[in-house]
Amino acid sequence: MKLHPLSLPYRLLTRSMSLALTLFFVGTTLASAVESINIVITLALVAVGLLVAGLWEVVYYRRFDYVLTDNSLDIDSGVISRRRREIPLRRIQNVDISRNVVQRVLGIALVGFETAGGGETEASLRFVAYDEARRLQREIQRRKRGATERDEEEEIQPDVLYEIRSPELLLLSAISIEPRVFGLVFFIVPFLTGAAESFGGLSFLFGLAQLLVSALVLWVASAMVTFARYYDFTLLRVDDELRYERGLLQRYDGSIPLDKIQTLTLQENPLMRLTGYATLSVETAGYAPGQGPSGGSEAAIPLATRGRVLRLAHSIESFDDPTFTRPPKRTRRRYIVRYALVVAGLTALAFAVNWFTELFPFWYATLALLVLAPVAGQYQWKHRGYYAGEDHVQTRNGFWRRRIHVVPYYRVQTVIQRETIFQRRWRLGTVFVDTASSVGFGGQEAHAADIDVNDASEFRELVRRRLGGQIRERAARARMEKTESEQFSSE
Amino acid sequence: METLNSRVRIVWFAGVLITTAFVGAVLFAVRRFVFDIAVWLPLALAVVIFVLGGIYTVFKYRVWRFEIRDDDLYLERGVFTRVTTVVPFVRVQHVDTQRGPIERLAGLGSVVVYTAGSRGADVTIPGLTPERASDLQRRLRNLAIESEYEDAV
Repeated sequence: MKLHPLSLPYRLLTRSMSLALTLFFVGTTLASAVESINIVITLALVAVGLLVAGLWEVVYYRRFDYVLTDNSLDIDSGVISRRRREIPLRRIQNVDISRNVVQRVLGIALVGFETAGGGETEASLRFVAYDEARRLQREIQRRKRGATERDEEEEIQPDVLYEIRSPELLLLSAISIEPRVFGLVFFIVPFLTGAAESFGGLSFLFGLAQLLVSALVLWVASAMVTFARYYDFTLLRVDDELRYERGLLQRYDGSIPLDKIQTLTLQENPLMRLTGYATLSVETAGYAPGQGPSGGSEAAIPLATRGRVLRLAHSIESFDDPTFTRPPKRTRRRYIVRYALVVAGLTALAFAVNWFTELFPFWYATLALLVLAPVAGQYQWKHRGYYAGEDHVQTRNGFWRRRIHVVPYYRVQTVIQRETIFQRRWRLGTVFVDTASSVGFGGQEAHAADIDVNDASEFRELVRRRLGGQIRERAARARMEKTESEQFSSE
Repeated sequence: METLNSRVRIVWFAGVLITTAFVGAVLFAVRRFVFDIAVWLPLALAVVIFVLGGIYTVFKYRVWRFEIRDDDLYLERGVFTRVTTVVPFVRVQHVDTQRGPIERLAGLGSVVVYTAGSRGADVTIPGLTPERASDLQRRLRNLAIESEYEDAV
């Protein structure tokens, strides 16, 4: 199959525009520096560049060819060095379609194919007709199941799991901004007021107003981005796949295969906890929400009431209601000490700033924050915990953004227990339950933090045993199904 | 529980020596070309790195141990942060043996075990004699195939 004919002029235009601009910029810069280069040579340079780019695109289009076979997607491409890539359908995790406004008018779409292991898109088609993109998405899922017969065409009725409602979308837009951003504003205020005071009261007020306005602009801008991103969000279940559609300016259609789900994550920031809302994200081995090639969050449910999110999560994976085991009480002391040290650090910083600039005559005022340390410690302790259920392990973490991870045992890749030198003093350890999902960085993976060393070792071995058990169970079931179908066919 | 071959300390210590030489060289270059620092400073720093590195190497060797259990590979390591890793055989994607230049000089090799996990995706067992390394590689590979489970991810 060839790419859509309109993809040629579209690529030509978008690519050559930026190329021409770059060349023109380089040319004019050179012209001002080197005498022998003038505007004529610059324009000639641009023209030659455009010609080469145009030829390149034409050859690219003519050379590009893809075909969907029963068990693989084969792509021939390359202008100078030619390449044939064959991707086994079984390995394809997600098929994503994205269209911006212009592409929507032209009726073309970008299709990205995601495989496990790595944040890079395995292959992409730029661009095919939108209908063709949808066909590929559907067909890949169908053929993955091994249903090759054409006559099995009766469309599986999609089951609407979730549609964002306007009030929810507005609420999401309003609260999706990080509370930390606002925290930053309050952190900056003392600096500004300190600076403004030296110019008199009027400029102080002026500075404050400026700050408020910029905070407001920041908030509105972020709300608008969220609004455009999740506009008209729908989540469908088609047989054993989740499909979502979203976006105002740029429209995304993505698929999440249910049998490739690694982790379910429930997230709540303090505002959501207060209002009883939550976010659910579904991580597959291809990539995690927010890490997709489209850049935006593929969150399975951007925002819904907590009860609804839980119901949906249960319909995807039937996990137990957790009773979280909190870390031992002594960790609370550890957290309090930690926050007290942070306050001490801040005070030292304020002192240093005052020493050099004399902007902070009351540098020791930050010590008042010490009152908050026990509260913060208690809060952090309260929101941590782990639970080893029948089929799933669940962990809870997060001070601001509370995350509950639900990991099926048979998705566990490795179990890692870590005791840092500070944890060892308190006889504590952290157990990481690693899966193939790509959101493995920045402490965002499932982990039972700061539990007693003995509990940690026990938990580690428990997860390992249950993983083994579940895999044996699944293998036995697969064998049984196989022999059953053999018996059936021999009869 | 199996410990590493004691010669691995030589390999690790060679790393310490290289670091020492590098830091010393940089400081001497600074002294020569940028600004004058006392001659004893690079020397003292080199000695400190040398001694601390040596102590670290000894402890690292003492802590490092691994075991091939019934269903998984079990490793313990780390001087400051103690790390215990369990890699189930079903999750092993492939197994490599590796021999760096210093390892070759010491007559040692390493085995690297890859999984599809996002954290610690590869687990390295250093300090193995070449025979032990290839034996371990073969054994792990066979165990991984034996416990093969179609749906690795």
